[in-house]
Amino acid sequence: MEDKAKTLQREFLKVFEKLEVVLGWEPGYDSLHASPSFIRQVEDLNKLVWNPLCSQNLCNYLVKTLNASVREDGKKIGICVKGCDSRSLVALIQEKFVTRETLYIVGIPCEGTVNWHRLMRFEPSLKDVQKVTIQGQELVVETAQKTYRFPLQHVMEQRCLHCRYPNPIIYDLLVGEPITPHAGDDQAYGDVEKIEQYSLPDRLKFWEKEIDRCIRCYACRNACPLCVCRDSCIVETRTPKWLAQRCDLKEKFFYHMIHAMHLAGRCTECGECERVCPVEIPVTLIKKKLNQIVKELLDYEAGIDPQKQPPLLTFDPSEKGI
Amino acid sequence: MYEKIFIAQGELAAMLERLSKEMDVWVPVEMGDEKWGVRFLPYYRDNVVVLDRQSTIGPKNVLFPQVETLLRFRYQKDSQDPSKQRIDLKDRQEVSSALVFGARPCDVRGFFTFDHVFLNGRYKDPYYAQCREKTLFATLLCDTEDSACFCSSVDSGPGDREGSDLWMVPVDDGYVIEALNDKGRKLIPIMGKPATPEQIEKAQRIQEQVTAKRIGEYDLTRSAKDFTGRFEDMDYWRDMVSRCISCGICTFVCPTCYCFNITDESRDLEGERIRSWDSCMFYHYTLEASGHNPRPEKFERYRNRVGHKFSYFPDTYNGMISCCGCGRCIRSCPVFIDIRKIVHHLKEAVDAEN
Repeated sequence: MEDKAKTLQREFLKVFEKLEVVLGWEPGYDSLHASPSFIRQVEDLNKLVWNPLCSQNLCNYLVKTLNASVREDGKKIGICVKGCDSRSLVALIQEKFVTRETLYIVGIPCEGTVNWHRLMRFEPSLKDVQKVTIQGQELVVETAQKTYRFPLQHVMEQRCLHCRYPNPIIYDLLVGEPITPHAGDDQAYGDVEKIEQYSLPDRLKFWEKEIDRCIRCYACRNACPLCVCRDSCIVETRTPKWLAQRCDLKEKFFYHMIHAMHLAGRCTECGECERVCPVEIPVTLIKKKLNQIVKELLDYEAGIDPQKQPPLLTFDPSEKGI
Repeated sequence: MYEKIFIAQGELAAMLERLSKEMDVWVPVEMGDEKWGVRFLPYYRDNVVVLDRQSTIGPKNVLFPQVETLLRFRYQKDSQDPSKQRIDLKDRQEVSSALVFGARPCDVRGFFTFDHVFLNGRYKDPYYAQCREKTLFATLLCDTEDSACFCSSVDSGPGDREGSDLWMVPVDDGYVIEALNDKGRKLIPIMGKPATPEQIEKAQRIQEQVTAKRIGEYDLTRSAKDFTGRFEDMDYWRDMVSRCISCGICTFVCPTCYCFNITDESRDLEGERIRSWDSCMFYHYTLEASGHNPRPEKFERYRNRVGHKFSYFPDTYNGMISCCGCGRCIRSCPVFIDIRKIVHHLKEAVDAEN
């Protein structure tokens, strides 16, 4: 079987003339990391890789870096999406930030991506990694010295453990065979329900402890493909000034609540906010809770159907949910 | 009098307990249960000290808090003439002495940048100066480098003792701790019992081995001119920085980034003037009152970050670059931008053009 990276390179080569840029992943600073790649020269196509380290959601660049709503020269943007990434893409199309016609989408069924923090916790001495693959329920890491096998449960991103959409929802080309989701619909909010079993005071204590670490670097916001306010975000504007520069718990809570509320019914649960957090706060949980409420009240899931109108972006007088 | 002690791993907590009676003790602790990251916090009995990996966020916070109150103010209406008001100001209080325990050579080196800016220039920053004067560093020889580390590329190294007051070398199942100056010497009797000649010899051997190591393949200390040559080459910066998401991680985890904002945060008639970390990666950092922004795009902002550390700073401060090679900006970056490569390739480009 051909390596998926080779397939990607070959397929993009076929249409490269019609593309302005290809968004994919390339090897990062060492063999345990992959970085987003912006390919503008055909000879750079061979940089493209696909493996369980390709964690970044590239849809994030469509609005903030590339402005993918119009293309005057008729050229398209080539983009690689995993299942979760494709949901963000659908949501961006629904909200008219991105035009479907400007994109050439290559979908890749994804078995999950590795969380570096969790991997290091599992095997702190991991060094000189040469290859990373998924085999069954294990992550196989080959180093110069030996081959490690880690149970996926322990080293995957949190988002992947509850993933119901490993297969891309929209694409022009699918690379690889569709795969069975890790989780069923009934497990979708298992992580939220776990926290909800705590008593209210305990739940508050849990969140105080987590949010207290926040350094207000805004990585969770900037990594979010659906955070589209760019340089006019409410938490930074000075006129008017809504949030103080203080770094106490109240201010941090305020920020995270604003972030979550602005994503209610829009968040596609790609988990990027949580993945990028340098102090490991499980911020996706807050957004998932809001999604759970939207699902219960309005029977809506963001980023599934490009034709559907997101319920909080419209007004329906006959609305029964609320 | 002895200058070198040995402390077994199991006695570490008791030693920190003794030290914390004398001063504030800052130690690297885990972010939480089942987390990998480490940050510096004041020592408490329940904190488990983590010395087997570099901290995610170093001890910058100790000398340069993310938020510090410079003064408090309160307006008081004149009861005779309500159109007038008086302002009461309260300056901030004295800081207590502190020990940063278990930092790495790169963490300590980070403060050299601060010293140039906040102490040795035309203006002396009283807030930083006070903390600097009263803070000691018990630094750990670093033998846990990873692929993001590059301290040798910036004229330092894993065995660099410069700037520390006490020096710790892991030996057997514990540490040989040595005083490097008078400030450190004063703490030695509180810390523990003298090390044996065998332990001292072992520590010496480890010190030599680690000092001989070179961490990081490039030399990044003489890039000022290369940067100037590449300044206008927007293709280069677009190439290197397209993937940046413009968050503040690299600047906040950086031991040498010292930019700050000053704001008055008030409610009704009282409030405080605070100084807080700012980040040149943010759009609002350079936004001017007129609405003009000289660095509206992330390319310009990232270029500034590189320029500041490897060109403007050495131009201003006798050639010293403001990067300590800790690798945090690479490791914590959501998209793993590698500043080593960006600086190194500046040079290649200039060479190619000649």
